[in-house]
Amino acid sequence: MNIQHKDSQTSVVTGLQELVAANAAQVRDEIRAALPAGCLYLDLDLSTLSFLDSSGFGTLISLHKTLRSRNGTVRLIKPASNIQQILELTRLHRVFEIVA
Amino acid sequence: MNANATSALRRDFRSSLRLESPCEFSAVRSATLQVRDWLAEKGLSEAELGGWELALVEAANNAVKYVPAEKRNLPVVIEISAGERDVEARITDHTAGFEWPEEIDLPDVESENGRGLFLIKSLTDNVAYLRNSHQNVMVLQRARAKVEKELVPDSGRLQAKLAEAEAALNDMTAELASSYESLVAMFRYSAELGAHTDVKDFSQRLLRDLMQIAEADCAVLRLLSTDGKKLETLLVLPDHAPAILPPVALVENKPSVEIGAARNRQDIWFDPDEPLDKYDPLYAVMPVGNGICHAFFVANQLVGTAALGRFAAEKPFTAAQVNLLHTFIDFLAIQIVNARLLDERTATRVTRRELQIAADIQRSLLPESVPACLPLELSVACQSALQVGGDFYDLIPAGDGAVLLVIADVMGKGVPAALFAAVLRSTIRSMPQLFSQPAELLEAANRTLYPDLSRVDMFATAQVVYLDSRGAKLVSASAGHCPLLFWQPSKAEASAIGQSGFPLGIEVSAKYYQTATVLPPGSAALLYTDGLSEMRNAAGEMLGEKRLLELLARAGAQTTDTHAARHFLLGRIADYCGNAPLTDDQTLILIRNTA
Repeated sequence: MNIQHKDSQTSVVTGLQELVAANAAQVRDEIRAALPAGCLYLDLDLSTLSFLDSSGFGTLISLHKTLRSRNGTVRLIKPASNIQQILELTRLHRVFEIVA
Repeated sequence: MNANATSALRRDFRSSLRLESPCEFSAVRSATLQVRDWLAEKGLSEAELGGWELALVEAANNAVKYVPAEKRNLPVVIEISAGERDVEARITDHTAGFEWPEEIDLPDVESENGRGLFLIKSLTDNVAYLRNSHQNVMVLQRARAKVEKELVPDSGRLQAKLAEAEAALNDMTAELASSYESLVAMFRYSAELGAHTDVKDFSQRLLRDLMQIAEADCAVLRLLSTDGKKLETLLVLPDHAPAILPPVALVENKPSVEIGAARNRQDIWFDPDEPLDKYDPLYAVMPVGNGICHAFFVANQLVGTAALGRFAAEKPFTAAQVNLLHTFIDFLAIQIVNARLLDERTATRVTRRELQIAADIQRSLLPESVPACLPLELSVACQSALQVGGDFYDLIPAGDGAVLLVIADVMGKGVPAALFAAVLRSTIRSMPQLFSQPAELLEAANRTLYPDLSRVDMFATAQVVYLDSRGAKLVSASAGHCPLLFWQPSKAEASAIGQSGFPLGIEVSAKYYQTATVLPPGSAALLYTDGLSEMRNAAGEMLGEKRLLELLARAGAQTTDTHAARHFLLGRIADYCGNAPLTDDQTLILIRNTA
């Protein structure tokens, strides 16, 4: 996983392989720790994500809450169709902006 | 991991696999991957494999998450068997177990937990959770996707792959088609932008296209009112009058998904499980089915809300359709803001033109030349802080070498002040018989102007001076105006003379007093407006009457030339203020006895 700061307000996380019970809390904490104070837009590049379970959802929602408390947003970038289907099944596409 | 793949047994028509995994998240994850590979060998489609993988991960995660510490050394057992018609899995855990709920709903969308059982149930056909004192077994079962059987043996997998590829291709085609439609629509809108500035017409066509592409049955578009306090209805589709939805105030605590979306800057969804409140204004248009409300912003400022609805309860909007909503509406938001800016720019241009006309009129009212009144000489300066100011002066020849000087300041600036200055000028000019009696002139002018001035809560200060060249005499009267300043060479200091009464327009029967003064040779008198005495220096201190008196004495002593003395005065005032921009109009009239 790699976290880059596109500008003072936008951070981009790339290289996520799996977001599952085994790593969900760690990924959440690492991203949170790396977020600059002024970051309002967090883009999670999900194009490399092959698998996501309900613990992974917890991480996404937790980050969403962190950003929303700053009046910001989390965007999910290019999730594979199987990931998108699961997001829709659990109605999380109602929470996140999903960029195809 | 030390998962132990025991054997793949042939049992009736089923194959099976048994794995024992250490009770750790990473280990059970590896086990589920092994199961996935094994199921792939059995010919399950990608979609089926994904479903089983996730269902097993959720079941196995539960087995790890809730196991008591003393049983953490016991393995999580995953057994799976695949037949021609179905697949069955058994996950053995050593937790305290739980009652499988009859109904499993999704938790609140913001909850970070509680979706595991929902996923297991959604991804399988049957679930049973068998509890006993030592261990519990979750049994999951799901029918296999149908495969054409008449093909040659072993072609099942090929057929499944083909069907899968075809489905994927259909999905892609549908997505591409919708993207293509969006793109075509965007290009069309962009091309039309120059021709159409009617926001409602433009929004209506855009919203109709969006409804068609996103398969929505109804839509509501609201815009933030100009005072920023409420959402006003612009469009209700299909074809309702906007009046069906009265405005909603942003501060109200009534149920409204539109206000909720605008306040929280987040889309709000509604569906048969979480329907619209019956008292939500939107309920009138979208009583049942699915819907989403999106608030849109430009430069972080709320512009409005858009709601899409679909009557079919079983068909919620997909992520792709939500993306369409965002793309179309955010595009519309920019067009709405641009159209408003264009309107404002046009209005500003019109206002500027009107002000220019008013300024031209005002300038035309000022005297074109300074009447001769020798040996008394006049020098005038008038600067307006705005294009159209409230200051005005007049120099009216009064016959027999006499001149009437009027200097006035109408409260306020801009067109209304200029209009009243014009009225004041005409009023005074209409009473030449009173020119030599400035106090009476002011009383008469006040009586004439009072009804109009008091009706609009305006007033004007004025100083009227009757200059008689024959005796080098001046008679002055003031209506709340800055005092006349007077300097003569025999004295080192200048002084203020006269007595002031109410400004014009304050009291209908106001009395004014006049003072007669002789201007000895070389002496000077100054009439001015408060814009001059209230100029401030960098420290914020006003110039004030005292400094002005000093400057008048210095100017008088410096030069005998009237215009040079005025330049000197203005130069020293500019020095004092450090060339700060004008905040008020400034007018001065310098009178000098050049004999």
